[in-house]
Amino acid sequence: MLKISNVSRRFGDKVAVSGVNLEIPQGQMVGVIGRSGAGKSTLLRMINRLADVSSGSIDYGGLRVSELRGQALRNWQRDCAMIFQQFNLVPRLDVITNVMLGRLNGRNPVLNLLQVFSPAEQLEALKALERLDIAATALQWAQTLSGGQQQRVAIARALMQGPKMILADEPIASLDPRNAQIVMDSLRDINAEGITVITNLHTLDTARAYCERIIGMAAGKIVFDGTPDELTTDVARTIYGADGLKEAFSEAMTSTSIAPVAPLRLPRTPTNAQQAP
Amino acid sequence: MTDVALSPASQTLLRHYRGQVLTRRIYSVIGVVLVVVALLAAMNYANAANSGKFFERLPYLFDFLKTFTPNDPMEIFRAMFDIESPYYDGSLKFDYTSDRHYLTESLYIPNFVYQLIITVNIAVVSTIIGGSIAFGLCFFASANLVGAGVVRWIVRRIMEVLRAFPEIVIAGLLTAVLSIGPIAAIAAVSLHTIGALGKLFFEVVENADMKPEEGLRSVGATWLERVRFAILPQVLPNFVSYTLLRTEINVRASTIIGAVGGGGIGEVFRLSIGRDHAAKTYAIVILLLVTVVCIDQFSGWLRRRLVGNQSFELGRGAA
Repeated sequence: MLKISNVSRRFGDKVAVSGVNLEIPQGQMVGVIGRSGAGKSTLLRMINRLADVSSGSIDYGGLRVSELRGQALRNWQRDCAMIFQQFNLVPRLDVITNVMLGRLNGRNPVLNLLQVFSPAEQLEALKALERLDIAATALQWAQTLSGGQQQRVAIARALMQGPKMILADEPIASLDPRNAQIVMDSLRDINAEGITVITNLHTLDTARAYCERIIGMAAGKIVFDGTPDELTTDVARTIYGADGLKEAFSEAMTSTSIAPVAPLRLPRTPTNAQQAP
Repeated sequence: MTDVALSPASQTLLRHYRGQVLTRRIYSVIGVVLVVVALLAAMNYANAANSGKFFERLPYLFDFLKTFTPNDPMEIFRAMFDIESPYYDGSLKFDYTSDRHYLTESLYIPNFVYQLIITVNIAVVSTIIGGSIAFGLCFFASANLVGAGVVRWIVRRIMEVLRAFPEIVIAGLLTAVLSIGPIAAIAAVSLHTIGALGKLFFEVVENADMKPEEGLRSVGATWLERVRFAILPQVLPNFVSYTLLRTEINVRASTIIGAVGGGGIGEVFRLSIGRDHAAKTYAIVILLLVTVVCIDQFSGWLRRRLVGNQSFELGRGAA
């Protein structure tokens, strides 16, 4: 259970996230929507501790995440994998090594610097790549891959971390619809194993199709928290601040999918089903 | 083996990968061994060429400094600010006052400070001259801006020639023509600066993001306009950083050139150390140290004021 209590984040006199309270049970697939600058990325970055909270606290189980330091902090970051819009891979390094970098934490630091990985880790990395259907690219430099392929490498690296949670910061915003679907399907697959997935999205229909819970943010605050069914057009208009627009809020504008993807309810393990709201 | 779980294609990949890793490790080990062997052999040779005296003479390293001390610590500051010495005996060694540069009847600039100003002036003027010419040339040496290989080849060779000779060699040639003095020093440092800064500048330009350039090309802008609006705003922060760094380097260069007849602090430094004037020498060393620290602090401050913290972060904007 991830518990965010009254968390705020200020940059100078600008408030990015303001007094957010949130409880996310283990194994949930959560979509966060909202306009650019609504504080979605900052919220995710604070959970991973790429950014620090200005006030409030973040807890996971008995762990006070917002106050971790040193090795404890790095261990938390290993458990809580991050996926970025621009993939953030090492461009001039082969794909398989990029994936194995997910394992850096907890290994012998000297072996890390010498880039020595055990056969078991090589095998595991290849299996992760196979699972995402890009094993054939394993020996290429990451920068030679297409956007969709790179994002799948990033997911493989996240899997290599053995995470309890995956945070995806607009993972499909730079991808074409087909690749977007592959990436979202992979995330749903991973979620089915009981790993919490929290993803920022720009597209309402993607959020509706893939997420069991949707959170809407505006001006640093949570303005909506509910199921896809509760996310009506009116609610969406409030989240995106489209009230003042003359034209009807067009959902087609925020759509990336080629064909409507039927909302798919995943088989849940008994423990997950109990924790779900 | 657990490899069974992998598909045949992936097993082949894994074999290839392990082969690559093995090859890389073998080459790394060979490389390290070669470097260590070469280093040991070179050190052994150098020690032999030094008649094996290196380790024998090492303990005497500080003997020169021990004998080369002023009468009392205050002497250093008297020498620095041209104040009369109580040890004055008519010799040059303790004559601090006769080189004062009087501005009015009573107000004077101490000689070493005056010489230091000359040196810093040489450095600043030659950075401005050399930097301006390098700025003009660098765009013609960039492969992403100039399609004609001939132009690039010529400009780059010019820069290489200017960069190849140390300032002190150019200064030696120029003093023979222009006679001794700061003009020869300025010309020498400027020439070297063109070559050195030009190289750094055009590498920055070549690493610039070409998307804005494409955007301007699409509106029908000329080459000059594209350079002005697409390239210049991107590269200017790095240009400023490199120019300030070059200013620091040029202060050092013009000090050294002073010692071969370029005037300035280098000249008085050579004379004082040659004549065994300990207090004067220490005064100059301290002045130089303070100057370099000041320039470093000032250029850091100026860079932050002018360009923020964005320099050396080229390419990040592409994301």
